[in-house]
Amino acid sequence: MDPYLAPKRERGRGKGEPPGRRHPVFAVLRALVILLFGILVVQLVRLQVIQGDEYAQRAEINALREAQIPAVRGLILDREGRPLVLNAARFSAAIVPGDLPERGEMGIFQQLERVTGVPTEEIERKVLAGIEARGPFEPVVIKPDVDEETALVLRELEPVTPGLKLLMEPTREYLAGPLLSHTLGYVGAISEDEYGELKDQGYLVQDHIGKTGVELTYEPVLRGRPGKKLVEVDAMGRELKVVSERRPLDGSNLVVTIDLDLQKVVKETLEEYTAEGDNAAAVVMDVRSGEILAMVSLPDFDNNMFSGPVSDEDLTALVEAPGKPLVNHAIAERYAPGSTFKTIVGSAALQEGIATPSTTITSRGYITVENEYDPNVVYKYDDWAALGALDFYGGIAMSSNVYFYYLAGGKADEGFRGLGEARVARYARAFGLGEPTGVDLLGESAGLVPDAQWKEDTIGDPWTIGDTYNFGIGQGDLAVTPLQLITAVSAIGNGGKVLTPHLLREVRDGHGNVLQRFEQSVRRTAPVEPEYLQIVREAMRQSVTKGVAKGAAVPGIEVAGKTGTAQFGPARYDGSYETHGWFVGFAPYDEPEVAVVVFFQRGGGGSDAAPAASTILDYYFHGPQLAQKPEEGQ
Amino acid sequence: MEWRVARHFDYALLLLAAALVAYGALLIYSASLTAYPDGIAGLSHPVAKQAMFALFGLAVMTIIAWMDYRVFGQMAPALYALAILILIAALFLGESAFGSRRWITIGGTQIQASEVAKLLTIVALARYLADRQLQITRVRVFLTSLALAALPAGLVMAEPDMGTAIIFGAIWVGMVLVAGARVRHVLMLGGFLLAAIPFAALAVLGDYQRDRIALFFNPNSDPLGGGFNILQAEISVGSGGVFGKGLTNGSQTQLDFLQTPTTDYIFSVLGEELGLVGAVVLLALFTALLFRAIRVATLARDQFGRLLATGVAIMILFQVFINIAVNIRLLPVTGIPLPFISQGGSSLIMLFVALGLLQSVLLRHRQIEF
Repeated sequence: MDPYLAPKRERGRGKGEPPGRRHPVFAVLRALVILLFGILVVQLVRLQVIQGDEYAQRAEINALREAQIPAVRGLILDREGRPLVLNAARFSAAIVPGDLPERGEMGIFQQLERVTGVPTEEIERKVLAGIEARGPFEPVVIKPDVDEETALVLRELEPVTPGLKLLMEPTREYLAGPLLSHTLGYVGAISEDEYGELKDQGYLVQDHIGKTGVELTYEPVLRGRPGKKLVEVDAMGRELKVVSERRPLDGSNLVVTIDLDLQKVVKETLEEYTAEGDNAAAVVMDVRSGEILAMVSLPDFDNNMFSGPVSDEDLTALVEAPGKPLVNHAIAERYAPGSTFKTIVGSAALQEGIATPSTTITSRGYITVENEYDPNVVYKYDDWAALGALDFYGGIAMSSNVYFYYLAGGKADEGFRGLGEARVARYARAFGLGEPTGVDLLGESAGLVPDAQWKEDTIGDPWTIGDTYNFGIGQGDLAVTPLQLITAVSAIGNGGKVLTPHLLREVRDGHGNVLQRFEQSVRRTAPVEPEYLQIVREAMRQSVTKGVAKGAAVPGIEVAGKTGTAQFGPARYDGSYETHGWFVGFAPYDEPEVAVVVFFQRGGGGSDAAPAASTILDYYFHGPQLAQKPEEGQ
Repeated sequence: MEWRVARHFDYALLLLAAALVAYGALLIYSASLTAYPDGIAGLSHPVAKQAMFALFGLAVMTIIAWMDYRVFGQMAPALYALAILILIAALFLGESAFGSRRWITIGGTQIQASEVAKLLTIVALARYLADRQLQITRVRVFLTSLALAALPAGLVMAEPDMGTAIIFGAIWVGMVLVAGARVRHVLMLGGFLLAAIPFAALAVLGDYQRDRIALFFNPNSDPLGGGFNILQAEISVGSGGVFGKGLTNGSQTQLDFLQTPTTDYIFSVLGEELGLVGAVVLLALFTALLFRAIRVATLARDQFGRLLATGVAIMILFQVFINIAVNIRLLPVTGIPLPFISQGGSSLIMLFVALGLLQSVLLRHRQIEF
């Protein structure tokens, strides 16, 4: 029967008949609507009311990203205001993993491969490693240092390629290159360790930081304060608008104490006089202020090399090169000062009353000392020649070892009392030896001032009179850096002030206003009366005029100085030794302005270091028009 | 048909549907601002298209309301065959979107096959069950009706579109219960299906469906991949709070964090920009609409009309529930549009056709008493 034609049957509620309007099945249906929608409302309340704040925060994190606005790194100028470094840019291709499209990442990788040549698999590996290490929103560098043409292509692609990022890394171009590499140092990508230490100061993983030299010492001044901006980004990571911004504070400019021209001359001079040694170093310092006018360490390296990625081979080659080019030998290595140390022993002897200017000692070319237990055993200490009778001036001027054996160790059998090891060490330390000079560079060596206690502790042998003799002429275990030596001898020149040598002259803002100026800083005062220092200066002057340091003479300038030819290493087959060549001095001798120290790792004090110092001082006083040096033999 | 019966026309039902479409248009407007920053500048704008589909749907609804719904009952076998045909066509000739073949092109117009097939299957099931209203308690009739629903459901599942397949299942359960099937049968079948779930998960579900279900339970396992949508929808809705961030002011929506914000994830837009209040208003509108549809079922003059109305009500109810549940992380991802709200012509027009059927049933329910 056709149900459509029998509607009345529906209303009779028989068994198996269809339900009417009040049939429970429709109530159930209505209840089902309420139930299902009720479930939805419960979940909505949970999400929107109970956890609403939490989700609101997550939405905000989604859409806002904090970005740093780097500050422009400060420049470095020489004392005449000549720029020594420029800020430059280096481009790298990078991926921000979090901004890659959901399914199209391989396409982006392939595109990047076409542009940069880095294989897709390698890109993928780097990206995964990057996410692992630093999360999805730190850019992962795929190819560092792309050329300009590639950078241009990438810049075009960047806005239309989600995830791709052209990183612009600031780098430094050192205009003087190797000439100032040890002084200025270089800037490099922040290391994992440095980042861990410095991230509280707002450093980012992709930041660059001073690694050595002035760039390291004055990192906080040069860096400035980076700005911050809060940007709204869309799901693709594109920046839509800047929500808030704090402008960066650019780094300040540094004016260093270096004179670029002088530096050049010092370097050329050292190269000229270097014979076979691995190293040479020289420092020119203003004895009044402690300003370092020039500081050279050879061999050097080009710090521009570190502006780009450095290959491991290049770095290994540099580290293992003879003479350790990365090391600043003017501050980081210590050597026996040899006879240059006699200036300090002499000052001590005058102050302590061991000697007067007229104390006369005769050098027969050696002195002998009997063994204190067995008089038949006699030790012999040589002078470099039988110099005859010498007063104090002659002792220094002729650099007599015998004279200083007497002053330092005395001669018991002749009733001559010397200073003794303890007082020599005390004065050495009073002149700043045996401790870092405090120069504004890292990696300074403290040098070594030995004494009986030190020998006992370190070597285990008792101190002997022979040790004192060696000590008195700057041999034995005494070791100084060229910078320590010039600081000590400058104190003789400036009336006893042991200054802290420094490289920073001024801090200036971008408009050239001086924010900070660095003046003289006295670290110690040598406990020697000015009149005694005047005597030592006079003796050093005589050393140049008629003594062993004649090579250091500069026409028209009263140079005072002391050479040193310090033996090192084992004795050669003929009984002689290899020698370090030293010269340290200042000019003009009665009212010194400038001091210079010259060191050759292999060389002689009189033969190499003194003439080198002469050239340097000549340039300092006369500029490019060097005074005509008297020809040899004239 | 006489004009006086027009007084039975359910204007409330029409107004509720119109309100929902308007509500949807607002949300589509906001969700497409990123793609169309200039607003509605032409007929290609999603809101303009949606409005045109709605007007066309209204016209179709009027025509169908005017027609006698029993005509469709007579055409049921043919309509059912048509449903199967277009589903097979979609499967083999269809256009692919988001990894599944759901669209067929007829005369230059893309039609989502399962949307059409759903309604046609409701008609066929209604006819079959109405014809056998006294034999429904028999297992053979019960199972045949199941087969009628299972065939299109299986084809939809193969697209693959698990969500719509579930809708087919819900429609069938609702319709056989109203038709007087034994609850025991339905429960037994339910138990059987429940027991089969583990096997189905291995055998029937495609990789992508397994992934989706796995992601549902832990979206953080792949926060930048497939889990992205789930997580971002959840964040959108949650961040809306009680009152929402204001229409067009949702950061999640406006900054493109939502995928398909005008269709499957339009509820996330609502949740973010209009908050809990907006969501409750939406659910209230749907509740009222569904109650009006159930009212049609209770007033229907015959079993066919009653089942027709029941099928339509259940279809809408489950689409709303599943779509929103996916948006708020109650169910795994499955692409089902939110009725009347989501952008999409096939869905909207078929919903108006369904409303036309309801009105037709209503208009004729007391004819016999005059």
